[in-house]
Amino acid sequence: MTLTREEAKQRTAILKQVRDQHQETVDRTRARLKDQQTVRRQICQQLRGGPKIVPEIAEATGLPAHEVLWHITAMKKYDLVVEVGQCGEYYQYAMAKETES
Amino acid sequence: MTVKNVHVDVLVVGGGIAGMQSALDLADQGYRVALVEKEPSIGGKMIMLSKVFPTLDCCSCITTPKMSAVAHHDNIELLTYCDVQAIGDRPGGGFVIDVVQKPRYVDIDTCTGCRQCEYVCPIDLPSQFDRELGAVRAIRVPFSTAVPQKAFLDIDNCILCGKCQQACPVEAIDFAQQPETFTVEAGAIILATGFELTPAGAKAEYGAGELLNVVDALVMERLLAPTGPYGHVLRPSDGKEPDSIAYVQCAGSRDKTLGVEYCSRVCCMYAIKQAMLLSGALPLADITIYYMDIRTFGKGHEQFYQNAKAMGIEFVKGKVARITEDEDKNPVVRVELIEDGSKVVERAHDLVVLSVGMLPGYNPKSLYGVPVADDGFAAIPAPNIRPSVTPKPGIFVTGAAAGPMDIVDSIVLAGAAAAEAAAYLEEVRTPSPQRAAIEEAVHA
Repeated sequence: MTLTREEAKQRTAILKQVRDQHQETVDRTRARLKDQQTVRRQICQQLRGGPKIVPEIAEATGLPAHEVLWHITAMKKYDLVVEVGQCGEYYQYAMAKETES
Repeated sequence: MTVKNVHVDVLVVGGGIAGMQSALDLADQGYRVALVEKEPSIGGKMIMLSKVFPTLDCCSCITTPKMSAVAHHDNIELLTYCDVQAIGDRPGGGFVIDVVQKPRYVDIDTCTGCRQCEYVCPIDLPSQFDRELGAVRAIRVPFSTAVPQKAFLDIDNCILCGKCQQACPVEAIDFAQQPETFTVEAGAIILATGFELTPAGAKAEYGAGELLNVVDALVMERLLAPTGPYGHVLRPSDGKEPDSIAYVQCAGSRDKTLGVEYCSRVCCMYAIKQAMLLSGALPLADITIYYMDIRTFGKGHEQFYQNAKAMGIEFVKGKVARITEDEDKNPVVRVELIEDGSKVVERAHDLVVLSVGMLPGYNPKSLYGVPVADDGFAAIPAPNIRPSVTPKPGIFVTGAAAGPMDIVDSIVLAGAAAAEAAAYLEEVRTPSPQRAAIEEAVHA
């Protein structure tokens, strides 16, 4: 759907107003998002080298294994990472095709 | 802003299995019902479970039809993401209830539940539905089988980037939404406010919630559910498939140190059920249940227990004193083996599940004028003959708001509460001396 210029302007104004009202939670969430991006970058770097299990990623990045698992779980849910089989007691994960570039 | 007023025969508070069943039982008999739920979807705790005991029916498969029936029933007004704010008496009988519709920031009539907003949202948050093991986005359809299947925005965890608004194909996202208060007029109220679980940090002896591989039984339900966070049973510390899993029974019930002296009535059965499901999911894993007593009093329950023993699940009589962890984050259970010369041993497992108890989730005293009993659940003056009748005329209770109970009992009590509410409405319309005598006896 295409918006008229007026509608788009109004939308931006509302968003700005709501952002001002929620400044504190917006700031906190932005900080959280920055952390998320830093961790994701490290995980993706590892997965570009080929499929890995969680302890391998944790060891290579220095991130706690439970945190790596949580991010892998999140990325898997939203189709950024896929499970590619099992290696002993651990599942292996790889970057999903679309994001492999 | 549209100000609506809802006129119904009965208001049901809580959209878990008990509340849904009461609403359906009344609506099917022609009564008008409003069902108010604080979360964005109905389904309660039952929709989080994997399978139910003792039939091992898939929980989603038996809960979603009820959720759907509630949403589509002509006699039910479904009010999700709403809080009851105040209650007053209606002149001539009944109640006037102030309800707040919390802003979803999504127009519920326009949203198609396509989840395009969710896919473009940049922030991942711990999913409460998956007990924080999985992730959700700030804007989302609450879970895959949510009813209504509509998105809502968690504005407290949003950076307000507006990407969702750009992605929505039907222009449903509305950042200008505000809370809206409206009134519900009802002749009677049924409280179906459910329960909470023993908090993770309750017992210092069991790691105070700090040990990653000591989880509660609802976490295990999510791990076992086909819609669970990992898609497999993995342990949270590192994603390892556990080879040895232990259950600690009475981890929150029959425990004076926690002020919970009662038996939660469901933990033996859910632990046995999960143990059976685990031996299906992980055929090589050793599964141990540490227990004080096994209580299997329901229809088909004892046979279920015997089947579990025959499947090779190890039942060890002994109260777990302490749980610590070794250097590989394996939980180490210290337990006295009562049937083995009372030896005290320490055993390491890959994963420990605490069979946590059911605690009161809500105190209805201040808002509804319904007192609670010593156990913290709603007071029921005549539990043997009228188990859903509270001391407050016109207000009834069902499900775990009345005390710990399983799904079967919740459904039975939901039917009872619906019948009591219907009888009350009829009595208000056409009083009868016999009925008055019974009421007097109960509320004396």
